[in-house]
Amino acid sequence: MAEKVKLPINPSIPSGEQTVWADISFLLDSACEGLRDGELIHGENFNLFAAMSALEIMDPKMDSGIVRRYYSVDEAIDSGAAPIPLSSDRTLDVQCVIDIMDHLLSCEATWHKGHSLAQTVFSCIYLLKPDRTTSHALLHSYCRVIRATCNLVVSVVSDARTNEEEDLFTMTYGLPLKGDGDEKCLSMLHAVEETIARQLRACKAPPSKRRVVEDMEPLQTNPDLEEEYCKALLCRIRFRKHFFHALTAMRRPQGRGLELARKHIASCLSELDSILKSSKFLCSNACGTCEDGLEDRTTASGCQPIGFDASLNCRLSAPTPPRAIKILSWIKGVEYFQKLLHDLDILCSYSLDPLLEGVLHFVIEFHKFQPDLVARAHLQVLLIHDGKLYGRDPVFTVISKAAALPEVLKDYEIQNEVLGQLGQLVINLLKILCTNAAWQRRKLGKILQDWRVSYMQLELGFKKEFREISSTLDENLCAKISKHILIWVEEQTYWIASRFLSLGFDLELYSPSEYCMVYWYMYVVFIRLAEKTHLKMLTSHETGKRKAKKKKDSLKDLARDYQIPPGVLLLQCHIYLAEALTMMLAALRNEHKVFTSLGPFNTELERFNQHFELLQKASIPDHMSFFSYEESTMNTRLSNPVMLNCFKDAQRIAKELRSSFSHDPEKMAELRRIEQVAEHNGVALNLICRNSSTASGDGEFWRSGSARDGVLGSPDGFRRVSIWVRSTWPTGMVKSSFDGDGDGEFFRDMKVRRDLGV
Amino acid sequence: MEPAVTAKEGEMTVELEGSEIEYVSYGGEHHLPLIMRLVDEELSEPYSIFTYRYFVYLWPQLSFLAFHRGKCVGTIVCKMGEHRSTFRGYIAMLVVLKPYRGRGIATELVTRSIKVMMESGCEEVTLEAEVTNKGALALYGRLGFIRAKRLFRYYLNGVDAFRLKLLFPRRELHTSLQMMATKNENHEEMHLLQENFCS
Repeated sequence: MAEKVKLPINPSIPSGEQTVWADISFLLDSACEGLRDGELIHGENFNLFAAMSALEIMDPKMDSGIVRRYYSVDEAIDSGAAPIPLSSDRTLDVQCVIDIMDHLLSCEATWHKGHSLAQTVFSCIYLLKPDRTTSHALLHSYCRVIRATCNLVVSVVSDARTNEEEDLFTMTYGLPLKGDGDEKCLSMLHAVEETIARQLRACKAPPSKRRVVEDMEPLQTNPDLEEEYCKALLCRIRFRKHFFHALTAMRRPQGRGLELARKHIASCLSELDSILKSSKFLCSNACGTCEDGLEDRTTASGCQPIGFDASLNCRLSAPTPPRAIKILSWIKGVEYFQKLLHDLDILCSYSLDPLLEGVLHFVIEFHKFQPDLVARAHLQVLLIHDGKLYGRDPVFTVISKAAALPEVLKDYEIQNEVLGQLGQLVINLLKILCTNAAWQRRKLGKILQDWRVSYMQLELGFKKEFREISSTLDENLCAKISKHILIWVEEQTYWIASRFLSLGFDLELYSPSEYCMVYWYMYVVFIRLAEKTHLKMLTSHETGKRKAKKKKDSLKDLARDYQIPPGVLLLQCHIYLAEALTMMLAALRNEHKVFTSLGPFNTELERFNQHFELLQKASIPDHMSFFSYEESTMNTRLSNPVMLNCFKDAQRIAKELRSSFSHDPEKMAELRRIEQVAEHNGVALNLICRNSSTASGDGEFWRSGSARDGVLGSPDGFRRVSIWVRSTWPTGMVKSSFDGDGDGEFFRDMKVRRDLGV
Repeated sequence: MEPAVTAKEGEMTVELEGSEIEYVSYGGEHHLPLIMRLVDEELSEPYSIFTYRYFVYLWPQLSFLAFHRGKCVGTIVCKMGEHRSTFRGYIAMLVVLKPYRGRGIATELVTRSIKVMMESGCEEVTLEAEVTNKGALALYGRLGFIRAKRLFRYYLNGVDAFRLKLLFPRRELHTSLQMMATKNENHEEMHLLQENFCS
């Protein structure tokens, strides 16, 4: 219990009309005397669980009030925490404004990275009182554009809202996010920019010409510093201007502003470069503070900014924890914005592919850059607007194309409730794919069942529907619609399942002892995916051919000129790899007791059911359970030639596919990785087999030599055996050195090698 | 609120025999200051005394303390209850003082709690651990926990967490196997325990 202190009743919180402040310490004291340890006086609706959310007053870890320096913004201002002007010395004033600008950039980046707006950007007292800054045009216009930009970003993220984990981002309760007149921020900023640009021209003009511009008052009082200060301010102001423009342009419907946004993004990046360069000058001016480098500093000059107090908003924003947060350094802040702008640039250069397959491919590729919330929110509002793709293409049109419905049917409007639901599923899928990987995986797992149910409903629905409309539509066509859409729904479902499984690698959810079952599951899902994709292509191929060859209609011709499409062959490569890896890990487990996981409380069955619960619930794939897995792996031996052949086949097909994907650098890189993984593992497998056959006694060999260091002793000297498994599917790999001492710590020195090209 | 869990093993500065550690089930208010001091020292999250009382008053049988020559060097605090139609145990706090880590104390504490949960009819046990807490992840991994989910920026310091889960073998299967093995000796007892809890 906190020590008893007689506190003066704070006059800044006044008594009300019928209320008055009174000291009840004596009452509490005497109540406490009647209680024993652990006793609690409580109302009926206040149980122990409710008590957990109690705050202990005067405990600095919990009481937000106790760490606050000022009781209110006004009190802070009265105490001189945010003077205007910042200094009567105009040079110093400019320097201080630049520090504020820089610190605000760090704060903004920190906010984007997941902290509350109240504790970051709005820790700036100048922002909290929009009217106060009017007399200081430079500061005033900058504060306005900051508020307007925050507002814009909040609205994009709110519109995209799918992710409760990022709720903190849009929490703006009690903050003056919309100052009166903030909408005019750009014209004000422009005027200030013009003035400084003229001041810069004036100070650079040779003395002979200076008279022409003589009436121009300089920015500050030291002529030697004028040019650099003008430059430092200009790049900061221009950055804000272009950033605001870029964001506004990106919000134009149907991607109409993307091209314009790209120009502004390019300008932003070049202004950021100038901002970085200005650091040298600013740093050397702020005497003596430059020595320690800039690692932790939140300004270019290295000086503490004036006018910030993160504790001021504690009372305004309930979810703000009392502890202070660490604001990103200025350098990190600039780097964040560079990254954000690069991500936005990728979005803006996107061609708005009308084919769903292309959209999905783009989104998945985009995720490889690990975009943060703001970039992902922009992606989502671009993809889905007004319930349409890009706010332009109706979802049914998108599905028709994706399902390769015959041309004649695309115009035919099918009013079907279940089809409507399917459209909603597609929209949801796209939205989910714009969230962070952790959240995405959870949601994908959950919607699998919806897709499955939708499939069954469609199957039933089509039968019924077509009985009703068959009078108006050719029955044959009805059958076609149903067939195409059903195949596509299944293909899409398996695509989601494969994304769900491979995200588990990205999120490090699988441990080495579980790899075998994960590869097995990927293997069975890939097979179905390839089947459905192939079937879809065949169906559309068939329809296309039929049309072209109506008269001949020779099946022989079809068979002769048909080749398996490259997309399906690529899936085949993955199937081979997954199969071979499953078998290899199973064989190592069976013969050498590595990768076994024997917990005291459960078995592999429980672990399998936990990892694949959502897939199993949705019957993905049908009739596959732990027992199928157990059956197909329990007897696998290293001597089985199938796994080596699988590696070889994967390598061979990948090689053959190069010519089909020569125009697509990402696919080419994927092929290279497949080849390398297959090749490495083929070699490793050979080595392990050879060593195994020379081993003396059961398992003995694996403990010999200096196995602890991950090096195998063998009759012909030291040999390190590594197998390559994929840490992400299909982007990266883990190289794992084989430590054969059989204690299950196979992956002792696991190293992630994202780029196998080295 | 779901508290953080920390168990870092690895460093070892105290030489001791396994038998020197004494494990005690939570025994009342006199143990509370010991638990609070340990958790306060080792975990960053601020907990009020009500948080501790919530756990140790409602589930005293799931909390354990480890003593070395009279000094409390480790503790575990847990709960259990219905969660979306499964009866689930939850490990809220696990702490072992730094010099005593790497001696299997945390494993023993967790194992004791899990056993009680299992006997009380829990179907699974869950907890969260920072993705960077390799020691804890390894410990729970050895006990059969899987990483069921990754929780994006779960902790206030911005670090992601894993939700770890341990699924017990299905009751029907489990008990029928047990029946075969022990001719139904324990079955009734376990059933009773579960009823006691539910009433």
